[in-house]
Amino acid sequence: MHFPILSSLIAVPIVGAILLLFVRDEEHSEKTIRAIALIVSGLVFLETLLLWSRFDASSAEFQFVERHDWIPSFGISYLLGVDGISLLLVVLTGFLTPLALLGSWESVHKRVKAFSICILLLESAMIGVFLSIDLFLFYVFWDAMLVPMYFLIGIWGYERRIYAAVKFLLYTMAGSVLMLLAILGLAYLQSVATGAYSFDLVKLYDLSIAPRTQVWFFLAFALAFAIKVPLFPFHTWLPDAHVEAPTAGSVILAGVLLKMGTYGLVRFALPLFPVAAALFAPVLATLAVVGIIYGALVAMVQPDMKKLVAYSSVSHLGFVVLGITAMNMQGVQGAVYQMLSHGISTGGLFLIVGMLSDRRHTRLIAEYGGLKKVTPRLVAVFLIVTLASIGLPGLNGFVGEFLILLGVFRWNPRMAAFAATGVILSATYMLWMFQRVNYGPVTSEKNARLVDLRTREWLVIAPIVALAILMGVLPNFFLRPIGPAVQRMLSHVEQGSAPQRIEAER
Amino acid sequence: MMAGFNAIVPMACVAAAAVAAMIAEAFSVPGERMPIAPLGGIGLTGAALASAALWNHNASSFGVVSADNFALFVTGVLVVVGLLSLALSGPTIDREHLPRGEYYALMLFALAGMMLMASATDLLVIFLALEVLSIAVYVLTGIRRDSPASTEAAFKYFLLGAFSSAFFLYGIAFVYGLTGSTRLDRIASVVASQGASPLTLVAVGLLLVGFAFKVSVVPFHMWTPDAYQGAPPAVTGFMSTGVKAAAFAAFVRVFLSALQPLHASWAAVLWPVAAATMIIGTVVGVAQNNVKRMLAYSSIAHGGYLLLALLSGNDYGKGAVLFYLLTYAVTNLGAFGVIGLLEDAERPNDTVADYAGLWHDHPALAAVMTVFMLSLGGFPPTAGFIAKWYVFSAAIKAGYTWLAIVGVLTSVVSVFFYLRIVVMMYMTPAGESIARFPSVPKVAGAALIASAVLIFYLGILPARVLDWAAASIGTIF
Repeated sequence: MHFPILSSLIAVPIVGAILLLFVRDEEHSEKTIRAIALIVSGLVFLETLLLWSRFDASSAEFQFVERHDWIPSFGISYLLGVDGISLLLVVLTGFLTPLALLGSWESVHKRVKAFSICILLLESAMIGVFLSIDLFLFYVFWDAMLVPMYFLIGIWGYERRIYAAVKFLLYTMAGSVLMLLAILGLAYLQSVATGAYSFDLVKLYDLSIAPRTQVWFFLAFALAFAIKVPLFPFHTWLPDAHVEAPTAGSVILAGVLLKMGTYGLVRFALPLFPVAAALFAPVLATLAVVGIIYGALVAMVQPDMKKLVAYSSVSHLGFVVLGITAMNMQGVQGAVYQMLSHGISTGGLFLIVGMLSDRRHTRLIAEYGGLKKVTPRLVAVFLIVTLASIGLPGLNGFVGEFLILLGVFRWNPRMAAFAATGVILSATYMLWMFQRVNYGPVTSEKNARLVDLRTREWLVIAPIVALAILMGVLPNFFLRPIGPAVQRMLSHVEQGSAPQRIEAER
Repeated sequence: MMAGFNAIVPMACVAAAAVAAMIAEAFSVPGERMPIAPLGGIGLTGAALASAALWNHNASSFGVVSADNFALFVTGVLVVVGLLSLALSGPTIDREHLPRGEYYALMLFALAGMMLMASATDLLVIFLALEVLSIAVYVLTGIRRDSPASTEAAFKYFLLGAFSSAFFLYGIAFVYGLTGSTRLDRIASVVASQGASPLTLVAVGLLLVGFAFKVSVVPFHMWTPDAYQGAPPAVTGFMSTGVKAAAFAAFVRVFLSALQPLHASWAAVLWPVAAATMIIGTVVGVAQNNVKRMLAYSSIAHGGYLLLALLSGNDYGKGAVLFYLLTYAVTNLGAFGVIGLLEDAERPNDTVADYAGLWHDHPALAAVMTVFMLSLGGFPPTAGFIAKWYVFSAAIKAGYTWLAIVGVLTSVVSVFFYLRIVVMMYMTPAGESIARFPSVPKVAGAALIASAVLIFYLGILPARVLDWAAASIGTIF
């Protein structure tokens, strides 16, 4: 019996949250609470690194699988596993959570205990989403995750936080309940085919489903994931949620939560319903391209930095979806890589915007200007993260976007051409924002005396900068574990769609 | 010889406790406080132990009361309802100076009636049980005699309830006229051989109306918001869960065993009813500003989900009814328990705005209320999620895909109003708020915590209870 590392990844944050319940929520215990939360999330991060180090990168199968009966009469099991697609997303979650906690030391002073508990519970649910390979368990984590996020936005957010929190929750839930029905339908088909209910993903992969049914199920899954990504035109909750959420919420939302939509497409929607996926891939790709260009154009005119970054997420996530719909090695591998690198660079951008707004209590671009002279170090890291987000070669964003465009070009050159304009546009809006904030004369008195990066902020931002460079320079190190799992997924999609397509044509 | 009485032992325990409560009240010196609630607790524990002993024995008494596992499961749910109601009633009784003995005795009599209703296998006994529980609940609804709202609620409830009882009785008469019996098994065999004649359909329709009133589904739901708002919260919690459990148990027994051969006929009527119940319950619920009325409409909507399970009619559906009743009982009683604690002598404090800032005043109460709301809304990892999932999987299996879609979409809408309370408690600063109650009584607090724990238990480790539910339906269908 080896150590159940995956379960412990889910359990440690919960244990930490329970531990925090017993700390008194008073002024002087604020430090203790923060320390406990930080240590717990740091521990989780170390564990994710341990997981990575012991992960066999050459294997495409699920590893560290843990299986326990949960509700045996329905074939539901507590089934965890990790493969190349989920591994790095788990590491990303472990990486960003402590940074989000540390990044909010200045900005959150109200109810620190409840705040830390919410973040830890959220971390546990997020890791659970990436690790579960039982559809029922996946749905449980998927839905459970909404509650702490809802509280994070609703309690610690800005002015219109309640509206944003409720909108976030209802939007996401409306999408996911139909997915629940599709999951139930899948299990029912499985019981018809084999005589026993099962929610085991690996078994369901082998289930052959009539193309008509596939279409319905695919639509239900795709809707849930499209809202989460968010894919145009389901994106309207995102700017609200991002703008109103506290910094930590935005970092986790952009860094991890959005990836669940694209992760869901790769893990569930495509391989489970290959025929429908092939049918709808052009539709999804078109929406993705529209999202890329639309997100970029809207980002360009935002007066608020946070909103600008939020819309840039719509654009960047469009790339990810596009890469997935290409359904070839480069496209999907690039998409998975881009999920990570977007988590790093957008997480970093939100942290930096948070630092600025901690200092000035505003996020309006017009309020800033000439920061280069006042806070040179902050501006330096800001520049690196901005360039990473744009996709400058040598930084993380480039690799993913390049691979995606390569893959998409092989599949549909026209799509690739349209998408490539998004790269140019992203340079425009990001650099323009950067220029207005950091260059030129110091326009406002209030900006003249801003402090530069503090030690704590160095601790928050340095890992991000380091990782952005590392992922840009050594992409193979990160791509290696992704490859086999993507290959397996793709060959599965091919097998699934080929014979049935012929059948349908007859 | 004695074995013939086995099946009625659980309800006899409760009835004995009720009688004891009345005697204790009658013989108490004025001003003396008798431990009446614990008496009820003892009776209910006895019922629980008796049910456990009878499990899998399929005992039956007098040919009309059957302690099959189905009945015993519902009895178990009712024991939970009873214990939580007893524990949560204390603060209301003290505050309103209600007659302690009568209150508990009525509650226990109602419980005995509910248990009988769940176990009866004869339409007349079902009617008898229905009246026992209904009359007790009418009185409980109006037990605050000097409160106009309470009296109005009781009167409305009584009139409409009596009306529906008449429908039900008329239906029984028809059934008897057609089949020559009121015993469910005989009805089943006659109905199976005769098929659906117009008169049978009339009889089924009349029975349906009677049940529909009791479980408050659209279009027979009008009394619910008024009755729920007017009754003391502890009573509302009791009747919204206990009456529903008992009535649904009988509903399932009559329609899925005796009238199962006519499934196609009554299902055609029932599915629009289920859809309308889910939709109206949630949509009207959104517009409510009074928490009790909101939960009344939520209760209607939950009736719709239960109806969906009943309609499905397969093993999952029947099991789902049982599991759902348990979940709903624990959750709703907890919610009304919190509402009851927030009342004070001057004001009911039951508008949504009254909950503003509760988190700051009383974090623990806000936390358990949040658990109840999340469970009603069907969030994992609470019991509400498993219950809804069970219902929807039954519906999918039975081919009611569209109803399941209506179900999940309405449950999203319902989340909106459950969250309004959460928004108020956590995200809105307290206004010039009411004088907050000093503290939560120990017993009531323990009951709330027990409900919350049970909700998480059923949500995280439901396997055992699900197996019990599955075993329960095996015995009668």
